[in-house]
Amino acid sequence: MARKLDISSLGKRFGALEALCGIDVEVERGEFICVVGPSGCGKTTLLRIVAGLEPATSGTILLDGKRVDGPGRNRGFVFQNDSLLPWRTVLANALIGPEVAGRVGAKERQRTLELLNLVGLGGFEHYYPRQLSGGMRQRVNLARALAIDPDVLLMDEPFAALDAQTREIMQSELLRIWEQGRKTVLFVTHQIDEAVFLADRVLVLARRPGRLQETVRIKLPRPRQLDVKRKPEFVDYVDHIWRLIEHDVRASVIDERQ
Amino acid sequence: MWGAVRRNYLAGTLSVIGGLVLWEVVSRYLIANALLLAAPSEILRAIYRLTLSGEMGRHVAVSSAEFAIGYAIASVIGIGLGFGMANSPTFRQALQPWISGLYATPTIALAPLFILWLGIGIWSKVLVVITLVLFPVTINTEAGLRHTSDRLIEMLRSFGANRRQIFVKVSLPSALPFILAGLKLGIGRGLIGVVVAELFGARAGLGELISASADSFNMPELFAAVVVLAVAGIAMTAAFTWLETKLVPWTKD
Ligand SMILES: Nc1ncnc2c1ncn2[C@@H]1O[C@H](COP(=O)(O)OP(=O)(O)OP(=O)(O)O)[C@@H](O)[C@H]1O
Ligand SMILES: [Mg+2]
Repeated sequence: MARKLDISSLGKRFGALEALCGIDVEVERGEFICVVGPSGCGKTTLLRIVAGLEPATSGTILLDGKRVDGPGRNRGFVFQNDSLLPWRTVLANALIGPEVAGRVGAKERQRTLELLNLVGLGGFEHYYPRQLSGGMRQRVNLARALAIDPDVLLMDEPFAALDAQTREIMQSELLRIWEQGRKTVLFVTHQIDEAVFLADRVLVLARRPGRLQETVRIKLPRPRQLDVKRKPEFVDYVDHIWRLIEHDVRASVIDERQ
Repeated sequence: MWGAVRRNYLAGTLSVIGGLVLWEVVSRYLIANALLLAAPSEILRAIYRLTLSGEMGRHVAVSSAEFAIGYAIASVIGIGLGFGMANSPTFRQALQPWISGLYATPTIALAPLFILWLGIGIWSKVLVVITLVLFPVTINTEAGLRHTSDRLIEMLRSFGANRRQIFVKVSLPSALPFILAGLKLGIGRGLIGVVVAELFGARAGLGELISASADSFNMPELFAAVVVLAVAGIAMTAAFTWLETKLVPWTKD
């Protein structure tokens, strides 16, 4: 199978701070990758570099064999905060990608409407962000990223601000949507159970410097329903990953208190 | 909901009516001196008389022209300067001390000088209005453009937007509420500018009507001019508030 994304010996410094160092990851086409790690280990930074929003200090990223050196329409970013434009309707927000690329015809409009349907927002296309709940706004955020039909979806803790129930619903919704297109996904999260539920592989990062500690392959069958979270294998995966990062997480919590 | 509206307006309406009645009573029976105060009923009669004779129309036309021309010029230049300052740090640094300094200065004090330069016609008043309206508009435009949320800019960047697209699609709409607020602030300042500049010397205008009425101790006509100015100010500010709910509804509620 063709390799979609090839990250090799990636490093990033912010002045004296080594945010990332020696990251090597190969991602297959259609793979769902989750990234977990303690606060400050460089998860967001990694995603921003892949998105082309931040230059790497060292190393390379190849997407379909081509070097990444800026934002591009082959990658869609789903932000932690929804970053919706408050003066635009749901539809106009979701169409921002095609609009920036300079083409919003009947075809793009139709496709985006279908995407809004897909994320469960059919009938809300003329609402404004302030009229929507947090979960609905994140659905727009997702539809907006999908509207440019990217090869790779980059998601930075997209459900972190949602309440626990909404988050669970959004997780299974995301998998349902993903099953229909099987895009390559890089998904950052703090929730280990979220990572295990969604991922084919979980990248566990350690901090100071931010580096790849272990890659855990999740061999739970797909399609997955929420009840998979009660299976013993699932709990074992969560346990295993938690033990990998526990020490670092405790250290980061103590750091932040100081 | 209507109950709430009635409650909200009831106190205000009663207080205005009460104030007018008190004013009427005081000027008729307590300070019954036509040289010092005019009763609301007399003021209304004066407005009616001046309107019928066409004199009010003439004054209003002159003052309106001065205000409108000055306000329009100041808005265009102010928004332009604000754009320039937001886009070039050097330009901003060069202009900032002047803008802040002149905004704080009561430039209305320069009105006699402008009349010396430009004569007692409308252009000296236009210049006064410009110097009063320009700075709040510039400052607000620049601040609005500069305070565009980084998150929104980054979002647009992730879709490959260039600088111009970021400006048009994010910076401009997020600055719009600020720009409108600056323009709204300019209304009151512009009106003051027109009247005070006319007091210093003019052939016609509401300020000239006030000054002439004061010279001849015609209190009803003096107050008539003040009332027309007050109504104009209230009406324009209300129109702006309405415009804001139409143009930038996301800043409300
Ligand atoms: N633009 C920047 N300038 C300087 N330092 C930065 C910048 N962005 C991130 N950092 C630093 O790099 C490190 C990694 O940050 P990053 O946001 O990637 O962590 P994270 O894993 O996403 O954390 P969290 O889980 O809290 O979101 C942190 O120490 C952070 O302070
Ligand atoms: Mg982060």
